[in-house]
Amino acid sequence: MEKSTKVNQIRIPALARVEGHGNILVEFAKGKVKTVNLNIPEGPRLFETLVIGKTPEEVVNIVPRICAICSVSHRYAAIRALERALDIKETKVTNLLRTLMHYGEMIESHSLHAFVLALPDFLGYPSAIAMVDKFAPQVLKALRLKKFGNYIMEIVTARWTHGENPTVGGFGSAPTHAQLLDIKKQAEELIPVAEELVELMRNLHYPTSMEDGMVFMCLKPPTEKYGFVGDKVLISTGEEHPIEKYKELCNERIVAHSTAKRCCYNDKPFVVGALARMNLLGERLHGKASQCFKRCYSLSWIRNPLYGNLAQAIETLFCLEQTPKLIDELLKKEKTLASETSIKKPDTKTGKNVGAVEAPRGTLYHYYELNRGLVTNANLIIPTTQNLDAMETHIRIAAQNLIASTIGEGGQVTPLTPQGRKNLELILEMIVRSYDPCISCSVHVVEMQG
Amino acid sequence: MPNTNKPKVGFYNFSGCAGCLLTILNCEDTLLDIFNGGDVVSFLMAKSDNTEKELDIAFLDGSITTNEQEEFLIDIRARTKKIVCLGVCSSYGGVQAMEYEKDAKRSDSHTWQKRFKKVYGTKPFEVVKAFESRPVDAFVKVDYFLPGCPIDAEQFLYNYARLLRGLPVDAPKTPVCLECKWRENECLLLKNIMCLGPVTASGCKARCPSVNLPCVGCFGPADEGNLTSEFNLLKEKKYTFTEIERKLRLFGGVKFVKNFKSLWKKAQK
Repeated sequence: MEKSTKVNQIRIPALARVEGHGNILVEFAKGKVKTVNLNIPEGPRLFETLVIGKTPEEVVNIVPRICAICSVSHRYAAIRALERALDIKETKVTNLLRTLMHYGEMIESHSLHAFVLALPDFLGYPSAIAMVDKFAPQVLKALRLKKFGNYIMEIVTARWTHGENPTVGGFGSAPTHAQLLDIKKQAEELIPVAEELVELMRNLHYPTSMEDGMVFMCLKPPTEKYGFVGDKVLISTGEEHPIEKYKELCNERIVAHSTAKRCCYNDKPFVVGALARMNLLGERLHGKASQCFKRCYSLSWIRNPLYGNLAQAIETLFCLEQTPKLIDELLKKEKTLASETSIKKPDTKTGKNVGAVEAPRGTLYHYYELNRGLVTNANLIIPTTQNLDAMETHIRIAAQNLIASTIGEGGQVTPLTPQGRKNLELILEMIVRSYDPCISCSVHVVEMQG
Repeated sequence: MPNTNKPKVGFYNFSGCAGCLLTILNCEDTLLDIFNGGDVVSFLMAKSDNTEKELDIAFLDGSITTNEQEEFLIDIRARTKKIVCLGVCSSYGGVQAMEYEKDAKRSDSHTWQKRFKKVYGTKPFEVVKAFESRPVDAFVKVDYFLPGCPIDAEQFLYNYARLLRGLPVDAPKTPVCLECKWRENECLLLKNIMCLGPVTASGCKARCPSVNLPCVGCFGPADEGNLTSEFNLLKEKKYTFTEIERKLRLFGGVKFVKNFKSLWKKAQK
């Protein structure tokens, strides 16, 4: 598919610097936007059906393959759902180790997205590689952070991506004392690096042409702290719901132009991800992450999705600051680390339940029904699907505002100049990218029919 | 930086988790060398300035599940000297092919058409025509395979350097057991745990057995693996045929199913 040169059409044939395949079509007439389609032609893989007839352990092998970039979150959400269904109690130490692997994924995914994939737009480059001529130190620092996130996952999950060590009931093996100390040391060294990159992101120019009020959702952490796991959902309308109500919260539907399903709440788009978490939980931050949050936060954060990139940068700093504390707690339990994290087998083989975690790009729900040790039904609701309606809304507003600028005082419409068209295309891509979409994930959000 | 003397390289993603391309982006220390060693003309996941033209090497991640992908694949083949499949999706169909050619007559029949309807209903799609996942070599000639779920970074870098110098891909033919022995792990099969190490391609450094967990077969079938022997061993250990088949299908894709068919017929007798 080629870029469109038609006067009344903007077409971005293949979204770059995102995971998966998407394209944008905007059509307008007489200075008004008529159609906005964020098309998702990604090939369906039917994961919800692949897990049927599988054991809980096999489910945990399969579901991370939905998406590499949030593979730890998928594994964690599946583990939570299956453990809730089979009544397996997570030990304190297992929880700490799972939190550590989750921080690893947040650091890796956010550094990749905010600093390597999104930042080039703001600085006028086609890629982070192309930035190296002028911004080599920043690119190398971003890569250092990203590498550290991978290092945590390598140690805790046994691989950067799709590490099989975390499973239902615990871990196959626990990290050694030396490995934990090394993670702690590196995290401490990288805190100033993350702070510097937050500053870089803070000082960027954020276009405003897509601004509109947003509704946010995220999981409510079980304690008063900032965090990425919970059994309740917070909404910026002030509501709070148990995750068991995930179906009513997401209202999935099928649209013809996409193999990914769509979600809305009370007939309105909503937003999940780092920006939602910062808006709903930012006051809970401590330390340098809190200072950065206060310095960066403004009311634009409830209207402008581009601040999602800055929110990711602050969350990266948050994870780096928390990691040494987490490791100190783990080291206190060092003697029982192996036994307390070892795999606990369930007493029952039948049950059903939902489990949720915050993936880097938003709330991720997994639901399973099991009968005699095998899965009989499953439902997975993925963050990108929840964000697609909001993305289209912001695309529409940006397109409308820029098109409106081509209407003269007498109502005559001047066609978009090539530069005007280029600017609009860039803004539309930036909007989609700011949600850090994981498109291959989004295609697997399905409610089983009948 | 465009350099006409460097081999022209493209990285493409079809249906999959993008984990193999992510593994390349995860080579933080060598990322700039990857982009400098070859002239990377297309890598949609990493950059915006992509051009589609004649290529010396194309790396393909993901399996083929739509007509659009099939057309694009044929286009890539027509303008590319060497095609390299990265990972078990492009090589064998991936996890999304685990139900490939399951006997439709069986009562637990799980055919693709039935599963597709279950997920999306019967409303026709405007966006693409979809079909059951198949590997790249079901459509075009493939020069090399570098399996894994995802690929191993060291194996990729070693073979990337070889390919840039015009040398063929050198992927291990031996099973995981070899690497497992090197790490001096205790054999999990001896503890009656169903481990696919003996029939799975190595290259992962026996990660799972090294954390006391059985190999799930994520690198796909090993050329030198003895499937019959593994099958008989697992039967001896009282695993049912269904359990063994289910495990082998997880990552073995179309290739394992083909290997498996004759075995399955014998077992049914």
